Amino acid sequence: MSRLKFFGEPPPGLEGEDFPGRLIVIEGTDGVGRSTHIALLKEWLEDRGFAVLDTGLTRSELAGPGIKRAKQGHTLDPFTLNLFYATDFWDRLERQIVPALRAGMVVLADRYVFSLIARAAVRGVALEWMENLYGFALVPDKVIYLDVDVENLLPRVLGGRGFDHWESGQDFLRGPDVYHTFVEYQTRLLFEFRYLASRHRFAVIDARRPIGEVFRSIRFEIDPIIATMGTEGAHPQPRRRPAKRRVAATP
Amino acid sequence: MTPFRDEEMPGRLFIVEGIDGSGKSTQLDLLHKWLVSQGYLVVFSEWNSSPIVKGTTKRGKKRHLLSPMSFSLIHAADFANRVHAQILPALYAGAIVLADRYTYTAFARDAVRNVSRTWVQGLYSFAVRPTVAFYFDVPLDESIRRISEGRPTFKYYEAGLDMGLADDAEESFRQYQGLIQKEYEQMIDEFALVRMDATEPLVTQQKKMRAIVQPHLEAVMRDPGGSIHEALREAGLNGRYIDEAISKRRDVQA
Repeated sequence: MSRLKFFGEPPPGLEGEDFPGRLIVIEGTDGVGRSTHIALLKEWLEDRGFAVLDTGLTRSELAGPGIKRAKQGHTLDPFTLNLFYATDFWDRLERQIVPALRAGMVVLADRYVFSLIARAAVRGVALEWMENLYGFALVPDKVIYLDVDVENLLPRVLGGRGFDHWESGQDFLRGPDVYHTFVEYQTRLLFEFRYLASRHRFAVIDARRPIGEVFRSIRFEIDPIIATMGTEGAHPQPRRRPAKRRVAATP
Repeated sequence: MTPFRDEEMPGRLFIVEGIDGSGKSTQLDLLHKWLVSQGYLVVFSEWNSSPIVKGTTKRGKKRHLLSPMSFSLIHAADFANRVHAQILPALYAGAIVLADRYTYTAFARDAVRNVSRTWVQGLYSFAVRPTVAFYFDVPLDESIRRISEGRPTFKYYEAGLDMGLADDAEESFRQYQGLIQKEYEQMIDEFALVRMDATEPLVTQQKKMRAIVQPHLEAVMRDPGGSIHEALREAGLNGRYIDEAISKRRDVQA
């Protein structure tokens, strides 16, 4: 059991609750391999008997369709977009993530507030405003950060879905072509990610290596998080991991 | 975090607040017509009207998906879009902006749903401080009397039915509006809202409103269009296609 812990003030309805589940976040930039590793993790966890819920940005019933529609027109200021994403985030937290944690499931989140904070930071939104906004977010049990450099990212993106308008920063950067804005945008974004990684003590995993090696590193990080699940009684017990290794309480 | 961005802008922002049935929209509409007749360039912004966000708000209300936090966030998203697409550009250009409801509506509605006041104020810190914020003060019984004359059914969120105050819609509406009113009363001093007695005759209220607005209108942008009647007279035309042209322009703006 652990107590729901938030970055800021607990939001109404979720104060001081205990839950038996675990929240594991996979962070990293577009094309780094998050969805591949979540697919692998889900199977690996289920094979070990853990019930898994996977969730990701824009998958809420409330705001998912609206965000996708809004992003088709390219007229959004960063505040509107961030509040739209925050609505989506809260709706999933309240109606998918927390119920799953209460039920004792492992929740795998494909991206979390950190992606949203990094994206907003490169677009000039004050960190203070973003951190106040996401004060309602649950502090995860573990944040796995898949780290990569632009050089290694390029072939993956080219071999995959190609350059995306937003993931190339074309909503605010000007350049001769999408290649140049992509490099510029991702360089800035990775800088923000690395800053957040040290600030929030992510488990940083070098994602430039082969998939099998990366996955082995991820399992190594997650093993101790899930090891105590199911062995905890109905009464809250202190977790085995020392508190100081947990993600910092305030962003 | 301060609740407003403090920045000098050439435009002027006048906003009205008050519980449902306080008559604030009527008064703002009268002010709007007066300003236009004086030749000012006026931009009007209404609560919950962002073309990008309002579809999602509607979806949430229709499916009863909105909890206190998502209610708060989606309204902030709507407001942010209107600030950046409508209000800020007009103020930078030096026009007059009129807003029916402003951040104070969110502060009040979110607070009665137990959302942290400091969090909400931080959320809205990108908003512009109004030149004048009018608060239309009306006794609860009077507002309910006015509303039950025009609108017999109470909508789910408007009646605060999501808060579980009462099973009966009308009773829930009464309690909800009462709580909102208390929040407004607290904000009058905190945010220097200009209190208007909404029980006074409409003409008296409008007279006071204009007198308060007037001193802020120096050097504000005027509509360069001039009178269409003058133009027609000068050219000796009837203006056969003018109505059509104006309605087309409205379609584009909508």
